[in-house]
Amino acid sequence: MKKQAELTNLDKIYWPKEGITKGDMLEYYSKVAPYILPYLKNRPLSLFRSPNGIEEKGFFHKDAGDDAPKWVKTKEIYSESTDKMVNYLVCNDLESLLYIGNLGCIEMNPWNSTISKIDHPDYIVMDIDPSDKNTFDDVVDVALVIKDILDETGMDGYCKTSGASGIHVYIPFNKKYTYDESRGFAEVLATIVHDRMPKLTTLERSLSKRKKNQIYIDYLQNRIGQTLASAYSVRPKPGATVSAPLEWNEVKHGLRPSDFTIQNMPGRLEEKGDLFKGVLGKGINISKIIEKLEVVTSA
Amino acid sequence: MRAIWTGAIGFGLVNIPVKLFSAVQASELDLDMLDKNDSANIKYQRVNAATGKEVAWEDIVKGYKIDDKYVVLDDDDFEKASPEKTRLIEITEFVDEKEIDSIYYETPYYLQPEKSGGKPYALLRDALKETKKAGLGSYVLRNRESLVLIKPQGDLLILNKIRFQEEIRDTEELNVPNVKIKPAEMKMAVQLIESLTTEFDIGRYKDTYNEKLLKLIMAKAKGKKTKTPKMEIVHSKSRDLMAQLKESLNSSKRKAS
Repeated sequence: MKKQAELTNLDKIYWPKEGITKGDMLEYYSKVAPYILPYLKNRPLSLFRSPNGIEEKGFFHKDAGDDAPKWVKTKEIYSESTDKMVNYLVCNDLESLLYIGNLGCIEMNPWNSTISKIDHPDYIVMDIDPSDKNTFDDVVDVALVIKDILDETGMDGYCKTSGASGIHVYIPFNKKYTYDESRGFAEVLATIVHDRMPKLTTLERSLSKRKKNQIYIDYLQNRIGQTLASAYSVRPKPGATVSAPLEWNEVKHGLRPSDFTIQNMPGRLEEKGDLFKGVLGKGINISKIIEKLEVVTSA
Repeated sequence: MRAIWTGAIGFGLVNIPVKLFSAVQASELDLDMLDKNDSANIKYQRVNAATGKEVAWEDIVKGYKIDDKYVVLDDDDFEKASPEKTRLIEITEFVDEKEIDSIYYETPYYLQPEKSGGKPYALLRDALKETKKAGLGSYVLRNRESLVLIKPQGDLLILNKIRFQEEIRDTEELNVPNVKIKPAEMKMAVQLIESLTTEFDIGRYKDTYNEKLLKLIMAKAKGKKTKTPKMEIVHSKSRDLMAQLKESLNSSKRKAS
């Protein structure tokens, strides 16, 4: 079985303003493959395809496993919402990554869990999602409050730009808890952040009920089947931005998501290495952290 | 008060024989750890991490880990590395005290002249007052070379240990956002500071925790019960959620076992 992705339409312009082509994007993915693959490995992918570039509407393509060449790993998972089996793609190697990129998937959206233990996520994500009226400095402020809570309780946590307008903070769980328990913990954390910044943040899921200048702390991303753009994923956004793992001391006012693009990310990786490694490392102990949180929030 | 060191301050050609006294004391109450059941004292044991057996003091050495292996040090090694022990605090230069940031200050000590040292002691003290300077020198206490500052206070000379530069942590990892302050905001803040400015009087501040704790101990000793202030129960969503989560973790643990 020959394992090679057939790459097509490499000159197609994906980012018209910047003149960046599909070929440029695939070249980026082949360069950063050793860095991005650990965050995709054995995870079902939700494909979001933008085969005509970022200025045209893309579409979700979940059941992509059916059309894939035989050498691409797939996994059938029962979907409660549609009551049928969905055949997901799983991206475990460079060839699969290029195959998926060639479908017009600019971003890589993996599940929080792997197929070996599908209902136990490897991490939780706090998705800091600003409104149009917020500045990125506001987003930074929320991330730093989460960092405060991490430090106060001795929890590990890692952050990255989403590549669009927000920041994602990941906390390693190492498949120790179910999605329900993990989401419960994420909700606790989100509630504490909201208590500390009641004006700036909201936990209101409904867009219409949110105030216009509030940042949504989305803890509901920690449900089975939810996906976020992975670390080092390109985003279908102006500037060909990338979701960039950060050192916590880089998280300060003046930081911009546009600082990290497919042009400068490979260089940054050479300089900084993979800042996100710890996300797949030792998981936290929820019970112990809750004890500490009870102390922290009782003051 | 017991002197913790005797020696001399070397100041130019004069040596001033002095005694050194600790200037500070811990204000915390000295509480002992006890077994809840019979109030027996808790004692520490040094145990071998591999065998779990107690190790006698004479069998304990110190080591430094390099590449997973320990380099063991004996008394001779420490001796060799130690600075030469002297009984002299040599003042090598005089500095303006204001130039020394408070971050460098460590423990303060009182200096008292020995009988023969009364006059040069007074001379150094008064000359420092006159010039508004402090003497900077070094001496060896407990095998470690220390940097000290000698300054006058009332009738006394005070010796203040100060930290070496390498003991001060780098601030690079700290984040202080770069924000622009509007003149109006600045004016308001300055006004607030000015209206709250008073003369520094440490006597107005008391560490009340120990006082209260001591009162409680005294009352308990007499057999009186002290009231605990009622905890105000704050209803908060995060605490409810934590309780729920704990409950669900416990029940899943029960299911698993």
